[in-house]
Amino acid sequence: MRKRHSLFVLSLFLVFVGIAGPRPAIRPGATPLAALQVVAERLVPLPNQAGSFKFAVLGDFGTGSKEQYELAGRMATLLKEFKYEIVALVGDNLYGSQRPQDFKKKFEIPYKPLLDAGVKFYASLGNHDAREQRLYKQFNMDGKLYYSFTPKSNVRFFALDSGYPVPEQIKWLEKELAASSDDWKIVFFHHPLYSSGDKHGSDIHLREVLEPLFLKHNVSVVLNGHDHFYERIKPQKGIAYFVTGSGGKLRSGNIDRKSGLTAKGFDTDLAFLAAEIIDDDMYFNAVSRLGKIVDSGMLTRRKVMP
Amino acid sequence: MRGVMVGLLVASILTLGGCNSGAPPPSPATSASPESAPATERVVGPLTEAEAKALATMNDRLKEYLEMHNRIEQSVPKLQKEATPEQIDQHQRALQKLVQKARATAKPGDIFTLEARPVIKRLLATVFEGPDGKQLRASIRDEEDPATTAKLKPTVNSRYPDTVPLSTVPPQVLQTLPKLTEELEYRFIGDSLILLDVEAHVIADFIDDVIPQ
Repeated sequence: MRKRHSLFVLSLFLVFVGIAGPRPAIRPGATPLAALQVVAERLVPLPNQAGSFKFAVLGDFGTGSKEQYELAGRMATLLKEFKYEIVALVGDNLYGSQRPQDFKKKFEIPYKPLLDAGVKFYASLGNHDAREQRLYKQFNMDGKLYYSFTPKSNVRFFALDSGYPVPEQIKWLEKELAASSDDWKIVFFHHPLYSSGDKHGSDIHLREVLEPLFLKHNVSVVLNGHDHFYERIKPQKGIAYFVTGSGGKLRSGNIDRKSGLTAKGFDTDLAFLAAEIIDDDMYFNAVSRLGKIVDSGMLTRRKVMP
Repeated sequence: MRGVMVGLLVASILTLGGCNSGAPPPSPATSASPESAPATERVVGPLTEAEAKALATMNDRLKEYLEMHNRIEQSVPKLQKEATPEQIDQHQRALQKLVQKARATAKPGDIFTLEARPVIKRLLATVFEGPDGKQLRASIRDEEDPATTAKLKPTVNSRYPDTVPLSTVPPQVLQTLPKLTEELEYRFIGDSLILLDVEAHVIADFIDDVIPQ
C-alpha cells in the first residue's frame, strides 16, 4: 500500500520540483547503529501519507537575496503537493539590519505563500539574530529564547538558544526532556554539535553539555545550521544530526570531506530539508534551490529502554 | 567549557603543588563556581585578588544599570508575546529614548569601569592569542563589512547602528567575560567590545581595541 502510494507521490513530486532525467544514486549512508537505522542507499520518496506529520527545516536564510527567494519558491512549490505543517528555523533568521522592513523583505515576503497557507514557523536564534525576534508573532517563540512544543501527538520539538547556553537553559532542557514521553524528540538550535564545516565545524564545548542529555532522554534527531551548507552526519551514538545552514547563504566547497562525519553533504547551492514522520520512521529529502533532491533517506527513531 | 574547568583545576593543582602548606587559597574566577558546578558555568581565571576587585566594580555598575533599565521598562506598555515587527520597533524606540534620557551624561567607563577595563582586555587577549584565536577573530568578523565598520566609532548611549550586523560572540569569549542577565549582551563592532542593551538597542558602554591584530 505504502509502496504504491510512494510511486504516485514521487512522480507528482518530481513534476512539481522540476527534476528532469535520472538522478545519480544516493551514496551509502553511515553504518547503521542498533538504535538508529538510516536507509539512504537510494532515493527514498516522501510517502506523503494522510495523517502523517510533515515538516521542513530551514536555516541561515534571512538575507533578502534573490537566491533566498528562489529557494523559498521551491518550498512553496513543494507545499502544493506535500502539505508540511511547520518549518523549524535553525537560526540566523535575519542578517544585517532587523528593522520592520527587514522582517518583511527577509521573511514575510519570500515565505508569504507558506504563511498564507497556514504553515507555522518555529524559530531558534542564531548568532546574528537579535533577541527581540522572540517576540515576533510569526516566529512562534512565545517570547522565550528556548521553548518546546508538540505539533503532533507523540512528536515533541525543543528549540534552544545555543548562543547563550546558560545553566538555567540546560536545567530547563533536562527537565523538559525528562518530562516528555513522546516517541519522537527532535531538538533544534543554531550551532551544530557535529559538522564538517571548514569555517565553523563541530561545537565541541556545546556537545559536551548537550549530547549526554540527548542520549539519556531518547532524542532521535538534532537539527542545526550555522555552517552554510547541507550535511547529514553519520549517526552519532545513535542520534541523527542534520546541518541545514544554506537557506539563504552558501559557503561553497566548505564541507571538509576528510572529517569522517559526512553521510551526505551538499555545498554547491542552497537547500532545505523536508521530512515526514510515520510511526517509528522519519523520511527526509533535502531539496536544492534548483529543485534537485540532493539527499534522501529514512531513519528509525531511537528506542531507549527505561 | 568543561575543558576550561578541567584546565583550571589542573593549573590550580600544579600551582599549589609548588607551594607550602601556608600558601594562599586559589584566586577566584570571574564568577563563583564550585568544582561540582555544571560545565555550562562560565568561569575563567585564576584572577588575582586585585583583578577580582576590579571586576566587582563592573558588577556593581551593571546592577545599577539594570535597576534603571527595569524601572524604565515598567513605565512603558508591556510588549505582547506575539508582536508585529512594527510593535517591536516602537517598543524598542520608546525604551531607547527613555534610557538615553536617563543616561544623558553617560560616558565610556561608566559600566566597563576604568579598573575593570584592563582585566577584560587581558582576559580577551588570553582567548584571542590562544590556539583558536585566529578562528575566533574570523568568526567575529564573519558578517562584517570592513568599509562600514571602519567609519563607525561606537558611542555610549547611542542606538546600535541599524546598518551593522550583529556579530558572533563565540562561546569562548562568553565564558571569559562576566556573566550578564538577559537584558544585556556582549557584541563586537570592529575591534570594540560592546555592551548592548538588548531591549532598547542602545550601546550601554564599550571598550576599544580588545581584538588584537
